[in-house]
Amino acid sequence: MNGTRATAARRRKLVMKGLESAILLLALFLILFPIVWMALTAFKRPVDLFELTLLFTPTLDNFRTIFAAPWNIGAALWNSTVVAGLTVLISIPCSTLAAYAFSRFEMRFKGALFFTILATQFIPAVVVVLPFYLLFRDLGLLDTHLALVIVNLAIVTPFAVWMLKGFLDAVPTESEEAALVDGATRLRVILDIVVPMVWPGVLVTAVFCFILTWNEFLFALILTRDNAVTLPVGITRFRTERGDLWELIAAAGILISIPMFLLSSVIQRHFVRGMTGGAVK
Amino acid sequence: MQDRRLKYVLILPAALLVLGTTIWPLAVSLVTSFRDWRLTRSLTPGPFIGPEHYVTALTDDPDFANALQVTASFVAIDVALTVVCALGLALLLRRAGVLHSLTRAVLILPFAVSPALVGISFRFMFNAEMGVFTWLAGAVVPWLQGYVWLADPVAALLVLVFSDAWRWVPYMTLVVLGGLSALPKEPEEAARIDCASEWQVFRDVTLPALMPVLAVVAILKTVFALKMFDQVVTLTGGGPGQSTVTLAYLVYSIAFRWYDMGYASAVAWILTAMLVFLAVWYMKLILRKPGGA
Amino acid sequence: MADVSLRNLTKAWGGFTAVRDQSLEIRDGEFMVLLGPSGCGKTTTMRMIAGLEEPTAGDILIGGQRVNDLPPRDRDIAMVFQSYGLYPHMTVEDNIGYPLKLRGIKGAERAAQVRAAAAKVELEPLLHRRPKELSGGQRQRVALARAIVRRPTVFLMDEPLSNLDAKLRVSTRAEIKHLQHELGVTTVYVTHDQIEAMTLAHRVAVMQGGEIRQLDTPEVIYDRPADLFVAGFIGSPPMNLVDGDHADGRFTAAGGFHATTGVARHGGRAVLGVRPEDVTVGPAGSGDLDASIYAVELTGDAVLVTVQAGAARIIAKADRAWRAEIGSTVALRLDASRLHLFDAASTKRLQPE
Repeated sequence: MNGTRATAARRRKLVMKGLESAILLLALFLILFPIVWMALTAFKRPVDLFELTLLFTPTLDNFRTIFAAPWNIGAALWNSTVVAGLTVLISIPCSTLAAYAFSRFEMRFKGALFFTILATQFIPAVVVVLPFYLLFRDLGLLDTHLALVIVNLAIVTPFAVWMLKGFLDAVPTESEEAALVDGATRLRVILDIVVPMVWPGVLVTAVFCFILTWNEFLFALILTRDNAVTLPVGITRFRTERGDLWELIAAAGILISIPMFLLSSVIQRHFVRGMTGGAVK
Repeated sequence: MQDRRLKYVLILPAALLVLGTTIWPLAVSLVTSFRDWRLTRSLTPGPFIGPEHYVTALTDDPDFANALQVTASFVAIDVALTVVCALGLALLLRRAGVLHSLTRAVLILPFAVSPALVGISFRFMFNAEMGVFTWLAGAVVPWLQGYVWLADPVAALLVLVFSDAWRWVPYMTLVVLGGLSALPKEPEEAARIDCASEWQVFRDVTLPALMPVLAVVAILKTVFALKMFDQVVTLTGGGPGQSTVTLAYLVYSIAFRWYDMGYASAVAWILTAMLVFLAVWYMKLILRKPGGA
Repeated sequence: MADVSLRNLTKAWGGFTAVRDQSLEIRDGEFMVLLGPSGCGKTTTMRMIAGLEEPTAGDILIGGQRVNDLPPRDRDIAMVFQSYGLYPHMTVEDNIGYPLKLRGIKGAERAAQVRAAAAKVELEPLLHRRPKELSGGQRQRVALARAIVRRPTVFLMDEPLSNLDAKLRVSTRAEIKHLQHELGVTTVYVTHDQIEAMTLAHRVAVMQGGEIRQLDTPEVIYDRPADLFVAGFIGSPPMNLVDGDHADGRFTAAGGFHATTGVARHGGRAVLGVRPEDVTVGPAGSGDLDASIYAVELTGDAVLVTVQAGAARIIAKADRAWRAEIGSTVALRLDASRLHLFDAASTKRLQPE
């Protein structure tokens, strides 16, 4: 009796194990395949494009083409780097100070203020961009880096405040209090004690915000035309009247994605906190 | 103490950023939504016309009704799919194993891909002639051979959902995994010793404990699905017909194809109102938790 | 060096009052221990002295000067935190030297002072390590060295020993006592551990519910606890407390428990207290009352005998060679000169005439 029951249980376990592996393999395939396919396509000649074989003669021509005229993807690469870099450089210091204040001090209207800053990340970008489009048009700022940096700050700042507050909340306050007693002013405490202690968190937040800005599409689509076009908008340019140049899209896609893969794997452990703000550990 | 003023000084720069980059444009949009302002006719704002745009949108605009319906369908399918897949995958990935750790390692990748690029890649892979997914679907289900996915209203919406889920399910799986790892092990072990089956353990112990995390996942996903824009532009272009025009895409069309700033602002504000409602709900959920946020 | 006085100090957050109208004079050079269970307001009191919390009402004076509105850095105090509050990104040397650095003391002068402070707590070989490379005891020393390096007028110590293991706690306790004696600096020390309070303090303030229940030397607090709370809180194992009735100098409780108290002017509900070491167990019939043994616990240096006397359980401390079976009957003898009587309603001590 016991023996047969054990055998049945063992068999069931084996079936479940097989099922589990099958599901995981499917998940792996679904996650990786689009990336792998894009990567493969980037090295294909146009004639191989719709061949579903893995056997083709790889070429670097596509990468040469996208960097040459008329595509000049290098310019978009530069624009993306400048816009994302400047956005992060402006946003992170401001957000760190605010997050510190929210984390450490009691103040009037703190709840309402924090709530407002956080709630803004739920605002659809499309409602924000309308007035900015009109404003920038009047100021002659359309199609400039500055315009993109300004609107991207709208997305990035609430995230950064939230994320950094999570990191700061996790830093024990004793060292700061020790420094206050030891004779430091509050600003000195922030510079000497808090920043070095929360530095990894600041870095993670900066990387996260960089990725958000780098991948941003809507603002760039509406506010740029030629000079300030970023990579996500840049790739749409490969859809021409003569048809979609998939091999060039794939090459540019690799160009956009590789740096983000690297950055996101650097901060992998903390990536989840970005959007959930420590609501989920 | 001296902190009394300092704390406000510390908040000031970020507060100004948010004020200038979000609150100000929101206010301007709100005002504009009560005006008649077509850029094709005038470069300066037109007269106030009261809530006319809102009335039009809600009672007399088939495009808006369509976009609302498309967005609702998209959100419903997308959120349900994301929550279920993320939960299922996270439960599997909780265990140890080579395949498990490999999958865990790649979960981060899709979220790092620009949504615009995701859209365009899926457009390529669902290409009618020889898209690889078109071919794969045909290989698995014979009557899908040569099916033109993006030409069918329902299929196009499903492909849109698929492209969005591809980016979000792995990310949300990480979120759920985080939630799972924060759960104490004892209740599950106690239930097992009390002779509960694996399904009972899940239903009676794990799932209830995980509800707050799943709520976070569901609401966040709803928010982002409601804002769906990038892939609509690069994957379906709103088509075929208007079958994948979401609210955000509709606002974009009204504003930058027809240049009707007043009406676009009104529709944008209807979308904003929905999102703010969700935001309040979400924030209550996570700020209530001690130590949360 | 200076005295510290708290005058009608109150701290409230919303509806919760952590410290209630508290006054306390700490003498120059005194070692004052604030003792109480968690949530009694002792740490809040100390943080107000440090300037880390703002009082809701009342005044704090250090050396006669009102310091309410001074930030911590202008109060000339040093503090040792429960988890030490070290600067994790700095070496031991930089940790100890940070207060000096903030005061503009540079180079060789600073190095010399750091070295002297480190020498006092035997840290010299570790000066170039970082806090995470140190053991708990070593970290504790760094915190101490950082506190003594600049000769403050007041030391504040917030449960500095609570994160150490039992053995280290005993030796560090002695070092803190020695250091305070040598430096003669006014010290306020917060703890929930009554042994620390008894061993370290010149005077102990026993706190509960945001108020000081008794302020006196350790001897007085042990021998004449002012109320039921102090009686129950001080002593390990705690004082036996028996509910009963008191009339004409005689205490009786259910189950035949009785004792002569020497308090004539009180009648009514009362609580009798007697410390375990003031209860002797002997053969049945030889003492004040007979009772059966509930448990016998060997602690090494003594045997704790719990007996069931009527409704009450009484713990007696017997000689470590003493043995008996659970359930057997023994006699209890209470040391009449060391009985404590408390009024049940007011919980206050009733002093024999």
